[in-house]
Amino acid sequence: MLINEKTKIAALLKYHPDALETIVSIAPDFKKLRNPILRKLMAGRTSIAMASKIGGVRPEDFFKALKPLGFEYDDTGGPVEEIFEESFMPDYLKNLDEDRLVSFDVRELIARGDDPLRSIQDKVKSLSPGQVLLIINSFEPVPLIKLLERQGFKAYVKQVDGDTYETYFYKEGESGSRISENDAAISTSGDWEEMLTQFENRIEEIDVRHLEAPMPMITILEALDSLPEGKALYVHHKRIPVFLLGELNERRFGYRIKEVSENMVYLLIFKE
Amino acid sequence: MFGPGIVGLQQTTNYRVVLPFYIYASVSFLAGTLLLFLRTDIANDHYFYPPTLAITHIMALGWGTMIILGASHQLLPVLIEGKLYSNRLAIMTFGFTCLGIPLLVFGFYIFRTGWIMQLGALLVNLGVLLYVSNVFLSAFKSEKRNVHAWFIITASLWLLATTTFGLLLVINFDHTIFPKESLAYLSVHAHLGLVGWFLLLVIGVGSRLIPMFLISKYTNEKALWTIYGLVNAGLIVFILARMVNRSLEFLAIIPILTGIVVFGHHCFKAYAVRIRKAVDEQMKASLLSIIHMLLPFVVLIMSLWVLPSGGQPNLVLLYGFSILFGWITAIILGMTFKTLPFIVWNKVYHKKAYTGKAPLPKDLFSEKMYHYMLMAYILGFGVFVIGIILLNQWLLKIGAAALLMTAILYVLNTTKILIHKPRKI
Repeated sequence: MLINEKTKIAALLKYHPDALETIVSIAPDFKKLRNPILRKLMAGRTSIAMASKIGGVRPEDFFKALKPLGFEYDDTGGPVEEIFEESFMPDYLKNLDEDRLVSFDVRELIARGDDPLRSIQDKVKSLSPGQVLLIINSFEPVPLIKLLERQGFKAYVKQVDGDTYETYFYKEGESGSRISENDAAISTSGDWEEMLTQFENRIEEIDVRHLEAPMPMITILEALDSLPEGKALYVHHKRIPVFLLGELNERRFGYRIKEVSENMVYLLIFKE
Repeated sequence: MFGPGIVGLQQTTNYRVVLPFYIYASVSFLAGTLLLFLRTDIANDHYFYPPTLAITHIMALGWGTMIILGASHQLLPVLIEGKLYSNRLAIMTFGFTCLGIPLLVFGFYIFRTGWIMQLGALLVNLGVLLYVSNVFLSAFKSEKRNVHAWFIITASLWLLATTTFGLLLVINFDHTIFPKESLAYLSVHAHLGLVGWFLLLVIGVGSRLIPMFLISKYTNEKALWTIYGLVNAGLIVFILARMVNRSLEFLAIIPILTGIVVFGHHCFKAYAVRIRKAVDEQMKASLLSIIHMLLPFVVLIMSLWVLPSGGQPNLVLLYGFSILFGWITAIILGMTFKTLPFIVWNKVYHKKAYTGKAPLPKDLFSEKMYHYMLMAYILGFGVFVIGIILLNQWLLKIGAAALLMTAILYVLNTTKILIHKPRKI
């Protein structure tokens, strides 16, 4: 198998059963991969380059260690983008007010065996402009950083101690003073956050934005038909689906709406 | 009639653009039924009779066309997944047609063929021209034009053809443009409007909205394109037959009738796989109007085969009545109470819906009044039809009175929606 810096860890593990132990031997940090949950979580989203960063080794160490297992280095892949620069805390974060910080400790979630990605994404969505998300984790969440960078976030990682990493996600140019005027644009009921917390970990998510009418409505109603007891449905929609609201009433579902922009509306639908 | 459906908030045309059309249409409906009630004597006369022309144009332009113009300004952006090119053009369309229609109708009623009628026709044409420009500029700016959008685009062109031809006919009263007198071209003018504009538009938009309101997954793009081809071909054949050889007219009926049957089948399929099992009153009225679509053909076939002499003016009247007061009115009665509450709801409750406690669009009007309106309508239409056939003045008066009652209830109920004040949530 040909590999390079961009090859995902999952591909290595899939190709050769011994790849796991070989990788663990490269750096102690990779012991985490023995945990099946973490493996599932990390391996598919982490490339060799990212993993090197996490483990504090060079990609070449990977190639060398993996060679006996039949992995060949493929140097035709071209230059690899710089992953993540260690940096000083940006001024933006230094001047941050406490009340603009939304912290989320995912260590417990991972320990319980849950994938925190969805909860993190929910947190991200619920951020008001000017707010900063702080993820507390036991490793540097490189895949998450890549993911959120694509959504326009900047990240700053601080290693508190050997097992604690604090990662700040923020959007520059959003100052606290703009919060109030943006709150008017991003509108929702007062208890949106509350409801979201109430259903935390009991949320099924669907995205109907790409569908042409009447498919969004049908998709949502079908999803509600199979919604397990006590769970809530989290819908990404292009608009407030006025006619759906009547159907929800008839079926005795309650709902909350959060309108982020003209093309971005979230609905939380639950049995009343 | 064809509001936005479940779709369309983000590209929504401002309600200020749409509502004037709705209001104008409801006033026209009242005026049309009132005039019908006062002049039931028209049934005894030739159809080319001043009050008949006046009522026909109130109903076709003031009622049918105005509400479709309003609704299509709202719906087109949804179908092309874009924006209406210009709100200002839409407002100007309203301004010109709003002035032109009463002038034209008044001109017909007193039958002075001079400047009043001509100015009216000219203003209507200006309005329609701006509408067509707006449709084209919107549609061709967007990447997406599905079959429904093509129905609207084509229908708008037929509308322009209808009004342009109408203007020429009005001028032809005084100055000879055409070889024959205007009466000879009336049938072409009427069918450009009825088939090209109304039928194409109703099918194009109805095929989208009916499945949507029934919550049905059913789509069949191929069938819709077939209908599109059949109806357009039929209309062109009709125009050619009129120019070349009138006895070939029946060739036009076949494709158009086939198109309508295919459309009926399309709606039935959508109905059969619907998710919403309980069909509400407004949808019943709309589905009724699909069956209604076949009624004019019964009359038409009667007039072609049963009465080949064609010397029965009241058969022509029956034909026109069953289209304007039958099919078109039925579909508008149903669709108004699906779409108007939606538009007003968006204006009043949009932001209040976040909490999950906002009233529903259907709570904005009285269901009971709607029900009585439909009763009055079915009674009025049926009795008036029998009145035309029997030429019985009493039946005509009773039928027209019930239709007037329909219009009064319609205006009251739409007013209730329009003046709706937000409830405290």
